[in-house]
Amino acid sequence: MSREASSLADILADARVWKLKDSAAASTRPVWPTGRSSLDARLPGGGWPTASLVEVLLDAAGLGEIQLFLPALVESQRRTDGEAPWLVWIAPPHEPFAPALAQQGIELGRLLVVRPNTATEALWAAEQALSSGVCAAVLLWLKGTDDRWLRRLKLAAEAGGALGVLFRPERHRFESSPATLRLLLTQGEHTPHLELLKVQGGRPGPVEYVVMSVS
Amino acid sequence: MKSRAVKSATADLFAAADAAARQPAPAAASPPPLEAAARPSPKHLWYAVVFPQLNEVQQSAALLRRLCMHAQQFTSLVSIEMPNALLLEIRGSVKLFGSLEMLHTGIDDVWSRLKVSAHSATAPSALAALWFARAGKRVRIEDSGLLAGGLAELPVACTSWDAERLHTLRAMGVTRVGDLLRLPRAGLARRFGRTAVLEIDIALARQDAPRRAFVPRQRFCERCDFETEIETVAYLQQALEPLMGRCAKFLRERQAGVLALELRLRHRARPATRIRLGLASVTSEHRRLADVMVQKLSRLELAAPILSMELLSGTLQPLSAGSLDAFAALGGAGGRDTVPQLVERLRARLGEAAVYGIRSIPEHRPEAAWQRIHELRLGALRPGAPGPGSAMRDRGRVIDLGRTDEGMPRPVWLLDEPVMLLAPEVQQLNQGKGILEEGPERIESGWWDGKDIARDYYIARQTGGIRRWVFQEQRSKCWYLHGVFA
Repeated sequence: MSREASSLADILADARVWKLKDSAAASTRPVWPTGRSSLDARLPGGGWPTASLVEVLLDAAGLGEIQLFLPALVESQRRTDGEAPWLVWIAPPHEPFAPALAQQGIELGRLLVVRPNTATEALWAAEQALSSGVCAAVLLWLKGTDDRWLRRLKLAAEAGGALGVLFRPERHRFESSPATLRLLLTQGEHTPHLELLKVQGGRPGPVEYVVMSVS
Repeated sequence: MKSRAVKSATADLFAAADAAARQPAPAAASPPPLEAAARPSPKHLWYAVVFPQLNEVQQSAALLRRLCMHAQQFTSLVSIEMPNALLLEIRGSVKLFGSLEMLHTGIDDVWSRLKVSAHSATAPSALAALWFARAGKRVRIEDSGLLAGGLAELPVACTSWDAERLHTLRAMGVTRVGDLLRLPRAGLARRFGRTAVLEIDIALARQDAPRRAFVPRQRFCERCDFETEIETVAYLQQALEPLMGRCAKFLRERQAGVLALELRLRHRARPATRIRLGLASVTSEHRRLADVMVQKLSRLELAAPILSMELLSGTLQPLSAGSLDAFAALGGAGGRDTVPQLVERLRARLGEAAVYGIRSIPEHRPEAAWQRIHELRLGALRPGAPGPGSAMRDRGRVIDLGRTDEGMPRPVWLLDEPVMLLAPEVQQLNQGKGILEEGPERIESGWWDGKDIARDYYIARQTGGIRRWVFQEQRSKCWYLHGVFA
């Protein structure tokens, strides 16, 4: 693992290698650790990029989709000088269970749940929350949406400096998406599989790690 | 005889204090300035004014409120004492006016200019000042040590106690406050109740008695008639803009804010349309008010053309110093929102109930261990500060206040209702040893409110890797799905 990282650094140091602009930009924005070193190593900057849109494709709730982001969410609420920033969950598939989130270290007093009636309302709410500048992360669950709206969400996330996470069904896998990162979570034989579909400034492919080790 | 002696003693003290105020007196008469500075000055200084005429006038409350507004130029804390008196906290204003004497005279001048007869007095406690004013003694006492002596000569009637109590006191030979102060506290409490003793303590500034500041009960209300009927929301929005601006200005001038606004639209042959705007915190900021209004109007479908509109504010509320509006102003400069603004905007479009917080409750039954919160605490909360029912951090370790002792983790997703598992799934659970990962955790609770449960909870791993929170109901032995680990 470390050998691979050092060789990558060697390659990048080589003047003949031309670096994409995006990867340079990605490394300058702050990141939040994913809590799994094997995943951190695969992400540019070593964690979830802030001020960007991350898309997670999955067909069923319960594949460790929250575990992927919980360490970052806890960290985002802790690592701040001023007022603790807010987390906004828009249209989650079930009720977020307060004791579980408190158990994991989430500051519940700074969590907002939004229940919109339509997909357009959900997207609008996400755009508002992302661009507000008071949210650390905005999690949004959607059945489907178009490319134009995703672009708006990405711009809003960049403007507000927030991490936007969009959960969508797997069937959107082959549609184009402006998201900085695209992840695919599928059911495995014993544990769920995680695959990086798109990594701006990084290398896509499956990630080997146990998605759910705690809960 | 004794009361006379006290009187002359206080008179001397006054004379000394006055002399000290007028000129730097020789050392013998007044304490050296250093020592004076070292002595802690009382926290408050109250100016009381009694308007005897108000007793004979009807609608004295309305008149008193108007007089109160005149008094507000001297201090922000003016309190109304029904039926005929005002109390002003003036400690902070003394320096502004040069001296207490100048301030006191300045306030008195207002009443003489208004041609109302007034008796005023200043003392370190509001009640003492009121008693002096009722007795018509224009005293200015700054030192709470001198209060007892000053009060001693006042007639007992100035306490405004009820006739029965005053009658009893008179029968006991108590006619002056000084006589009252000499009575044993225990006996006084037994005969007149603890409130009498407490009131005396408050008067002598031994006990604090906070008073509510008067805020003028005003509303913004402005009507606008259209020459031609308005048929589209876009025109309405345009017409509304100056009205919103005036409303914000109105609030700003009064240093007050509102929690609600109402817009009434009148139609030709239909009942008026009422649009209520709720705000997440008291505000006077134009941007926030306009923001919420725009969201509300964007959902409006006009039932009929509009003849006229009327904008009304809710009751004005004081903007506290630590008000979120202060943050709003900061946020406004950077073009960014504040949390109340975000919540308001979301609620204006999605509805009040669509935006909520959650908290955990120390309760064994999972369905009762959490709660939605619609009244969000949007104020400043430091990171790591224990919120209601939230996790408290202790040396980097997470201790959940709302959590019970058992170590089994809780799932992120809780189903609205437990779902009964079907036969094949139950068979799997009964046979497969590797499938039930953790458990059982017996949860037995709620016998007292009729919603009692007796369940054995397990964490079950489904093929594919999904982990679910299932339980077996003890009585029926049925299996249910209650949550999903995500």
